[in-house]
Amino acid sequence: MDITALLAQAANLMLTGMVGVFVFLSILIIAVKGLSKFAAPDEPVQPRSQAAKSKPAGAEQVPAENLAAISAAISQYRNQHFPSEK
Amino acid sequence: MDGLVNLWSATGLANLTFPALAMIAVGCGLLYLAIAKGFEPLLLVPIGFGAILTNIPVAGLADPGGLLYYVYYIGIDSGVFPLLIFMGVGALTDFSALIANPRMLLLGAAAQFGIFATLFGAILLNYVPGFEFTLQDASAIAIIGGADGPTAIFLASRLSPELLGAIAVAAYSYMALVPIIQPPIMRLLTTEEERNIAMPQLRAVSKQEKILFPLGVLALTLLFLPAATPLVGMFCLGNLMKESGVVDRLSNSAQNEIINITTIFLGLAVGSKLAADQFLTVETIGILVLGAVAFSIGTASGVYMAKVMNRFAGDSPINPLVGAAGVSAVPMAARVVNKVGLESNPHNFLLMHAMGPNVAGVLGSAVAAGILLALVG
Repeated sequence: MDITALLAQAANLMLTGMVGVFVFLSILIIAVKGLSKFAAPDEPVQPRSQAAKSKPAGAEQVPAENLAAISAAISQYRNQHFPSEK
Repeated sequence: MDGLVNLWSATGLANLTFPALAMIAVGCGLLYLAIAKGFEPLLLVPIGFGAILTNIPVAGLADPGGLLYYVYYIGIDSGVFPLLIFMGVGALTDFSALIANPRMLLLGAAAQFGIFATLFGAILLNYVPGFEFTLQDASAIAIIGGADGPTAIFLASRLSPELLGAIAVAAYSYMALVPIIQPPIMRLLTTEEERNIAMPQLRAVSKQEKILFPLGVLALTLLFLPAATPLVGMFCLGNLMKESGVVDRLSNSAQNEIINITTIFLGLAVGSKLAADQFLTVETIGILVLGAVAFSIGTASGVYMAKVMNRFAGDSPINPLVGAAGVSAVPMAARVVNKVGLESNPHNFLLMHAMGPNVAGVLGSAVAAGILLALVG
């Protein structure tokens, strides 16, 4: 087959291919958007994660003084090492 | 005396030809790149060693009856190995960034322009004396622009097995070179202001969405592009095993043992296609050049698409850099995007935003491969 005919075929393939890829993935976008409307949010997981979070939150309250100490240490470190920023 | 002559004629020294020696040097070069430079070592070590084994005279490892011949025949000629790897890749892929921002699929689609433009370029190369690429050859070469090793090997094994060695080597080499090829193109096509754009944080994605996603992709493939089912189907199976959370043992096997074992034999089988008479041709040079062109065009079209989308994005802007991740090459391309983004704004982490187009690129190149198979195969 001569090259010009092949080129025409290749150009045709390029056009069809790109249109095909875009159409397919665009349909997928619509499908995913539909999916997120239709799919339930993680309800059974959320209460658990909240419960899981609430515990460490309670645990965090204990070292609140430590937290103050840590932030004081950080600011001291910054003052010592990067005095120009202040 | 006859015995001595016979023994001599059975040595490698007596049978070594220059082309075979050159291919052994190519194999050693691949080993050097893998071991000393860290370029895709998981694949280039078995490929390089396979290339050496294949070109050892007399042993005939890649001839009918030889080990590598059977590995190739069973694993690649049948299309099994790339598909097993794709299952593992599916089990390793997290689609939440894409589900949270499905618009990113358009970037994955745009970057596939690299494939189709290269297809045209490969045919154009026929004007140069010495090149005679058929449409099948051109399609197999163009898929290098998909930046996806298993997809490239799968398509090449279907459309143009004699070019498989060069195509696989080019695909994996360029994937290793993503951090070198992409950044200059990305910087060239974007302004400092664009590179600074911060993107809104992605929403949380529910487990149900993640489970339904692979099933939805499979359903669409089944309806619109059955030719892509081998690739997309195995990918979705791996992803479903991961996200369903009920078959962790299978998912772990797919991510680790199966993908590792397959990688060894896939590499060896690709190496077996690096025989002198198939690799030392002017076509190989053409394939290497076209591969680089495919990568560059894919990157550029992804970035341009992101720029266009950013113009219409309204209150949730898109940093054009993330378009470059549309060429798949997971997760390297996304990391490159992150790195280039951080150069402009050290507080702008684009990694998660780039993972969306990155995994969209995997789907996009699988779809492009399906289209090529359907139209050319």
